[in-house]
Amino acid sequence: MGLEIGTNPMDMDAIAARLVADFAAALTDVRVQEPDTVVARCDRAALKDVARRLKAHPEIGYETLNFVAGVDRLRHLESVYHVYSWKTNTYLELHVEVPKSRAEIDTVCDVWPAADWHERESWDMVGIRYLGHPDLRRILLKDDFVGHPLRKDYVDLVENHPHA
Amino acid sequence: MLDQFATPEPDEAVKLALRRIEESTARGEGSNVEGLAFNEVVVNMGPQHPSTHGVLRLVVTLDGELVKDVIPVIGYLHRCKEKLAEKRTYYQYIPIVDRTEYVAGMNCEWGYVMTVEKLAGIRPPRRAEVIRVIMAELNRIASHQVAVGTFTADLAPLGTAMVFYMFRDREYILDLLEEVSGARMMFNYFRFGGLRYDLPDGWVEKCRDLMKRLPKLIDEYESLVQDNAIFLQRCVGKGVITQQDVIDYGITGPCARASGVAHDLRRTRPYSVYPELDFKVCTESHGDVFDRYQVRMDEMRESVKIVEQALDMLPKGPVQLGSLRAPYVITPPPGECYTGQENPRGEYGTYIVSDGSRYPYRLKFRDPCFCNLQLFPKLLRGNKIADAVAISGSIDLVLGGIDR
Repeated sequence: MGLEIGTNPMDMDAIAARLVADFAAALTDVRVQEPDTVVARCDRAALKDVARRLKAHPEIGYETLNFVAGVDRLRHLESVYHVYSWKTNTYLELHVEVPKSRAEIDTVCDVWPAADWHERESWDMVGIRYLGHPDLRRILLKDDFVGHPLRKDYVDLVENHPHA
Repeated sequence: MLDQFATPEPDEAVKLALRRIEESTARGEGSNVEGLAFNEVVVNMGPQHPSTHGVLRLVVTLDGELVKDVIPVIGYLHRCKEKLAEKRTYYQYIPIVDRTEYVAGMNCEWGYVMTVEKLAGIRPPRRAEVIRVIMAELNRIASHQVAVGTFTADLAPLGTAMVFYMFRDREYILDLLEEVSGARMMFNYFRFGGLRYDLPDGWVEKCRDLMKRLPKLIDEYESLVQDNAIFLQRCVGKGVITQQDVIDYGITGPCARASGVAHDLRRTRPYSVYPELDFKVCTESHGDVFDRYQVRMDEMRESVKIVEQALDMLPKGPVQLGSLRAPYVITPPPGECYTGQENPRGEYGTYIVSDGSRYPYRLKFRDPCFCNLQLFPKLLRGNKIADAVAISGSIDLVLGGIDR
């Protein structure tokens, strides 16, 4: 028995239309990026609910989280979720805006277990705090590191490296 | 003044391991030995441990010989690759990509170059595409030889016999790659819209010659271990990755295919000239350590077939778009782009956000080993510590990619 890939052939426009129809309030700016990705924006408060419904969607079903990337957009931060649908063999790129003044967002660990380390990395590098994450420690940098280096306003100070 | 004899303060990972022991003991799950608060021992495996193939550190909680809990600690090889991208032009960044997954440099470079090309709307000439396939597949064979070789060395029924056979033959492949690019591992060979050099004279014949010999050599490897009772005992049925794990944790590459998931980006998200090539996506059904070994062996044979086909269809023409030299300055339009590329270890993705300048605004690698390593605690729990070594060898980690 093998996990069947791409058993539900839908073209990209149909998928985008379906997402618009099913997630009207939560997903905005839905557009198709050739050849196989749908890009959409999601409201920060609705993220967890949307994630659950995206995963459980009967026809598309974004079951696998590919990666989470934190991006500093200067005015605000952004948490980007890249998820994969086995049924349609397509991807969805979900952009969620996070304000810099309160860089917090719900975790999606309980929806996609793969989010665990990716969210830790995003916290480590960009400083987005994932609320409800089971173990939000730094992952690539050492425990006592100060600051989040992939912020555009990050300044590397010698005082921050006592052991160096 | 640093007192080198003082017991160092346990770090966050060790504290977490100790906390988990206390919690499990409080729940009544800890083993009960008279006179001991808990029977579990926290052991640091790595970062300098021969079986971790790099600087992976595992904080292992042991109950006797049984692994009760594992906390992987990574970051010892962190070289700020994503930060470096902010101050390097797209062109300057190519050699740094080699150093992420250093065992499969050609594949990594291709993943990065492909993403920038997609972002900027460049299409390399056909000869360059075919040569790229040849390089990637040669490097895939070399990478699998390292993976399987070191894995069998960890198991130790053969001592280091297998690893020397494989490294001997890997050297033939690296010779070919060196002749083309000038380097054994850090190639710096791919360019936007093509390749740095064309193939040297007589290279095609040499490559064909090696491809004729390789299947026999792979048979030789198999005859070394396939019937070995100790090898089978340590591999069969150990460290099973289920299909649900593949879905939940985004496991890719040979680890996913060994579980019967025919996920291979060369087929499911085809790029370059792969749609024209005839090859099989190698899958097995059990998802244990042995199947992962078997998939890698089969993939080496498939890669030989791909290289032979690519050599047959190698067209004449330029290997670089436009002028003879690659463009030093490239300014893709603003936007973001993700491309996955089938690395020997799985889906090697590059995500680039461009703001229209000469430098990538944000660059992120989705490394297959990073995602596969996440499954470790689940995979190792309940196994013997010696099997943990076998399982971690079969996942095939490259820390350069994990830590970036």
